[in-house]
Amino acid sequence: MSETMTVEPSTPDRTAARNELRRTRRRELVWDIGATVLTILMALAVGFVATLAVGKDPIEAFSAMLTGPFSRSIRIGRWLEDATTITLLGLSVAIPFRAGQVSLGAEGQIFIGALVAGTLSIHLAMPGLAGLLIPAAAAMLAGYVLGLLPGAMKAYWGANEIVSTLMLNAVMVRVYAWLLTSYLMADGATIVASEYLPSSSRFNPLSDLFGTDLGRANVLLFAVPVIACGVWLLLMRTPFGYEMRMVGANARFATYGGVGSRRVIAMSYAVGGAIAGLAGAHLVQGTNGRMILGISAGLGFEGIVVALLARNNPLVIPLAGLGYSYLRVGGDVMEQDASVGNEIVYIIQATVILLVTAQAAHALLRRRRHRGKADVGGVAPPTEASTAGVG
Amino acid sequence: MSPAVEFVDIRKTYPNGVVACDGVSISVEAGSVHAIVGENGAGKSTLMKVLYGLEEPTGGRLRRNGEPFEVASPLDAIAHGVGMVHQNFMLVPSFSIAQNVVLGAEPVHGRFIDTDRAVAETAELAERFGLHVDPRTRVADVAVGMKQRVEILKALYRGADVLILDEPTAVLTPQETDQLFAALRTLVAEGRSVIFISHKLREIMAVADTVSVMRGGRLVGTVEAASTTEVELARMMVGRDVVLAVERHRSEPGEPRLVVQHLTCRDDLGTVACDDIDFSVRAGEIVGIAGVEGNGQTELAQALTALRSVESGRVVVDGVDVTDSTIAQRRAGGVGHIPEDRLHDGAAVTETIADNLIVDRYRRPPFTHRGLSSRRAIRDQAERLIDEHGIRAIDGSVTVGSLSGGNIQKVVAARELSASPSVLIAAQPTRGVDIGAMEFIYEQIVDASNDGAAVVLISADLTEVLTLSDRLLVMKDGRIVAHFDDPANVTEQQVGLAMLGVEPDEVTR
Repeated sequence: MSETMTVEPSTPDRTAARNELRRTRRRELVWDIGATVLTILMALAVGFVATLAVGKDPIEAFSAMLTGPFSRSIRIGRWLEDATTITLLGLSVAIPFRAGQVSLGAEGQIFIGALVAGTLSIHLAMPGLAGLLIPAAAAMLAGYVLGLLPGAMKAYWGANEIVSTLMLNAVMVRVYAWLLTSYLMADGATIVASEYLPSSSRFNPLSDLFGTDLGRANVLLFAVPVIACGVWLLLMRTPFGYEMRMVGANARFATYGGVGSRRVIAMSYAVGGAIAGLAGAHLVQGTNGRMILGISAGLGFEGIVVALLARNNPLVIPLAGLGYSYLRVGGDVMEQDASVGNEIVYIIQATVILLVTAQAAHALLRRRRHRGKADVGGVAPPTEASTAGVG
Repeated sequence: MSPAVEFVDIRKTYPNGVVACDGVSISVEAGSVHAIVGENGAGKSTLMKVLYGLEEPTGGRLRRNGEPFEVASPLDAIAHGVGMVHQNFMLVPSFSIAQNVVLGAEPVHGRFIDTDRAVAETAELAERFGLHVDPRTRVADVAVGMKQRVEILKALYRGADVLILDEPTAVLTPQETDQLFAALRTLVAEGRSVIFISHKLREIMAVADTVSVMRGGRLVGTVEAASTTEVELARMMVGRDVVLAVERHRSEPGEPRLVVQHLTCRDDLGTVACDDIDFSVRAGEIVGIAGVEGNGQTELAQALTALRSVESGRVVVDGVDVTDSTIAQRRAGGVGHIPEDRLHDGAAVTETIADNLIVDRYRRPPFTHRGLSSRRAIRDQAERLIDEHGIRAIDGSVTVGSLSGGNIQKVVAARELSASPSVLIAAQPTRGVDIGAMEFIYEQIVDASNDGAAVVLISADLTEVLTLSDRLLVMKDGRIVAHFDDPANVTEQQVGLAMLGVEPDEVTR
């Protein structure tokens, strides 16, 4: 008869159960964080072995990589500037991801964002805040439209989004290169680049604010947490975000409940595209100060890694972006100071991607947890398997 | 003689901490039908998955004919003569019945499959156990009952002498059920064993030798079918007395609220699924629609709720022609829908109960306030509906996927009924739901009709439609082939004949 009690739990029982649930969730969170740290450690271990394998001194290389970004103020600047772009891109792909959509179009959206922001800044020199915000907003609008296109094609005609977004990227890269070389190149420039943007259109460099040389890092950095919170708010606290989450969880259910699933799918690409467009604007109005050829070499795809690392949680993406950029900049430093090729960093990145997509660290931790021991000796086999996959 | 299968103190704790089996010991004798009953989430399915090698137990052990029995995968289980017939059939539709039966263990002639022998062996097996099939017919072309016989033959062909049947009668007509039971008796007469999972106590009384009752992961008891009653089994399952007889005061039906005129629609493959359907439901009335599954009921429910477009004909709700309206418009117009497939249509299992409860109303106040979702309103509604509908969950932040089938259905019903629908389409509302939840859902459907809703109850469970309906329609091949104005005075056999397409004149009224 005691079992019938569970049917209608009395209040103290329920409170106890709730506390238990809360404890379980806290424990899960700790394990999640642990898994992320473990993933990065495993990837570093693989990189370490790879460095040894090519006959370099891994200690020197790794100390250059792991402390490099802090070795000079200009390197800190490079880190923060890169993190700004990468985080924006992570946020950009996380939005369609939550609606169950895989958008690979961030790369093309960066290019159109850069093109629009750069051209407007140069040709419509506007004073004051307008000069800064109007090009950036126009870049977002351009990214929005470039996202809406494959999104609508997917939603209404069933076009494969992977093909359409990748093809659009290829088109945009070439349109950008063509317009830049044919019409926008500065007179007497030694490389293919536009003239520099007027200072009213440039995001203020952090160097001016802090009085040390922080390179090309700029004030857009401060907007990143705000945008991340905005994306979180959009996903978790608005009807549109609810629609995206339900479509992502079970599109048939959303449709059954009266959600216009097609519109939601199309819009999720568009909103993601707008943020990628802003990342493009950042590359012109912040980082480079002008349009250059090949302004993004695959940055759009780095955004996917960041979103994956943060498991599409907009509040975690800035942290993942900072961590991931740190590795990227550390890799450059390693190449310069320790003459170990940047490729080691690519190996580490690839391992991170593999481990994250396979949820390897989670599975590993869970198994350990159930056996009740915390022996890390078992880490080696899966990582070795992953390196084999990279090669 | 040692039992065919013995579960000794089986325990299974899932990684999320759910204890599905808590020290269960059951002996299944050779040559008997052993039924295992219990509410959803009682641990029956987990126990079967352990036996079939789909789940690894966290404690206890299995014995087979007295020997220790280790099963790491279904292949091990099959090698040791344990076969399972799943609720969802796993057949290749484009293959013939014989090809399906021998699939993976084909008789060969040199390097090629010996089709003639496959057919002959299938026919022989079918003959021996009274499981009538036509070995050369494509599976896609046969009815559900025959598909199930194919599944059983498949297991027998692989040498199964312990056969697990998971809710085998859910998709069958009474006549097909009788045939199945006869076949099961033949099987056990040969010394084989059948483990029979079901919710339907009447069937268990009809076919089982021994009954084990599970509740909350524990074995409540094992009794001989001959020495027990349905009432006693129900009490063991639920832990209290269950009254399934529905109390209803038959109010005088009011104005027609749902009118369906000459409705025709096609299924996903483009064949006509509903053919010139004509009926109306008045306020306060429950109209049952019976039929063997796959005769257009699914498509009818979808057409009524705008999930499927209508080719011709009209759907009128409260005097308004809604034939061309969207799903959202139809919901706003007061059409509620308990869908047949609750996991695919009725819920997002990875999302919280609270979010599942607002899918039809998230844009309306109080759930959206000044453009933002109101967490408080969403949470408060979840708390309220969890209490009112007896959903077994700590609070609304629990994901729907962590609930048992009956409780998921309560979430769906809570959402649809709390919208106070003027028309309610309830499709298979208690399929795979335990008795406790069933009782509750019946009450709620009756309450909705007493409050003036027009209810369309689509069900394959004849007891259910006969008990609840004021009028009963029977569908076959997309048409309404019979109607009964006084279901209380109709027998299941009569409706069963109509479902099979026996001339309506012989059975109507």
